[in-house]
Amino acid sequence: MEAITGWWDDYFFATIVVLKIFMASLLLMVIFGLIGAAAKLSNSIIAKKIANAYTIIFRGTPEILVVLLIYFGSAIALTALFQVFDPSIKYVDVPPFWAGTFAIALIVGSYATETFRGAFLGVEPGSIEAARALGLSNIQTFIYIRIPEMWRIALPSFGNHMLSLVKDTALISIIGLNELLFVAEQATATTGKPFTMFIVVGLIYLGISTVITLFVMGLEAYGRSHLRAVK
Amino acid sequence: MISLLSKLFDFKNKMGVKMNILNKKLLISLTALMFTVIGPANAEKLRVGMECTYAPFNFKTADGVLSGYDVDVSKGVAEILGLELEYVCQKWDGMIPALLANKFDLIIASMSITDKRKEKIDFSGPYRDSVGQMVARKDLGRDLFDSAGNPDAAAFKGIKVGLERATTYSDWFEQTLPSAKVVLYDSNEALYLDLLNGRTDVIMTNPMKAHLKFLSKDGNEGFELAGPVIDDVAYFGVGVGIGLRQGQEELRDNLTGALKTLIKNGSLKEYALNTSHFRSIMTNGLIKY
Repeated sequence: MEAITGWWDDYFFATIVVLKIFMASLLLMVIFGLIGAAAKLSNSIIAKKIANAYTIIFRGTPEILVVLLIYFGSAIALTALFQVFDPSIKYVDVPPFWAGTFAIALIVGSYATETFRGAFLGVEPGSIEAARALGLSNIQTFIYIRIPEMWRIALPSFGNHMLSLVKDTALISIIGLNELLFVAEQATATTGKPFTMFIVVGLIYLGISTVITLFVMGLEAYGRSHLRAVK
Repeated sequence: MISLLSKLFDFKNKMGVKMNILNKKLLISLTALMFTVIGPANAEKLRVGMECTYAPFNFKTADGVLSGYDVDVSKGVAEILGLELEYVCQKWDGMIPALLANKFDLIIASMSITDKRKEKIDFSGPYRDSVGQMVARKDLGRDLFDSAGNPDAAAFKGIKVGLERATTYSDWFEQTLPSAKVVLYDSNEALYLDLLNGRTDVIMTNPMKAHLKFLSKDGNEGFELAGPVIDDVAYFGVGVGIGLRQGQEELRDNLTGALKTLIKNGSLKEYALNTSHFRSIMTNGLIKY
């Protein structure tokens, strides 16, 4: 393990990068998932078609391909777009951080779309009827009835999506972001100790995902707390 | 970037919207957060793409300092041409696509000049020889090459050859020994690991790298360089050069000129000696211009 001396700081900063990607993509993933679910449950045929295309494309293509296409494709497309306004612009670059974050949020967001859709459909019709009978408005029903019932249904799958996000951050090394896998490769190139370096990466990822799993378990217990008396 | 924004705002002003300084600041900072927009004012700053994991040519040390022969060459060239450089770490597979997508302006990553690559990108003159050699188990028990130094196709029957994907070595194998059973890898490290594990019997790579990263390490005494150094110009090209997008003849000639200067004043030799065990590279009589 002495080979690793001197690389701890690199691993630390790479872990920070991974956590930053995770936070940013988690936020985007929830947004994409909610928009997708809303579109699929809406009455608009066009919105339904677009949302279906989204989930079919992003659930049906390899994740690494999406990351590469967004990273290289966005640079070419944005450069062309900006040059329409100002021909003297040489290039527009989307940094690997944002391209990668956006890509994995889109991918996992497509799975979250289905999770959220299913969860909204799983809300007890009886609860909605009761809300109507009590004279709650549509917005009140959404906030006080649908959301509290829906997140309890969505939580187990949502926990899986969070784990997918964490592991997908490793894909971003292919577009040159200085994250954990990339640090391990750099360290291997200098020290020639691949196993040590990659095991450290594995342990760090395991640590992050364990924290998430415990967090989700806690949330699930909280979500069931009103049923404790029934048991 | 500012000119684009002011154009947008001129348009807005014409529409009768009062320009708000705060809004402008916000827009600039938002744009800066998401994209980097580079106009002609920054023309002197060039971005250099390299793997950053390819010791001893370009790699990061434990202190996080980018070093190696390629890095030294890039600094030497930048000094002569008065360029400001910025380094971008990019995986090998995406190196040429990233150059074409304008992720950086130059490839200084030990990329051999080949006709195949010249279809997509342009190269300066060479700054290092490009050669390959095989590494095999000592107990392999067969001669892979005949007495004239040509590979013997029959000897490659029944053994597995490890190569790096999309390299001159894999091209050479495909053409010279099409019947050989080849296993492709994404990194140089993976080659050594699977040779050690016995998943492959022979690998082909740069002999200097094989020596530095594999043969000289403890526990790898059972392996040796096998056969002659292969420098077939048709596959390995005239050497390793600086890659750039096509249609930049002036920049290309400037780069070649700077490299010639570095060879004449002995700088390249000096860079090579900066890295220990690096002497063998020079004995081949570096580069014929």
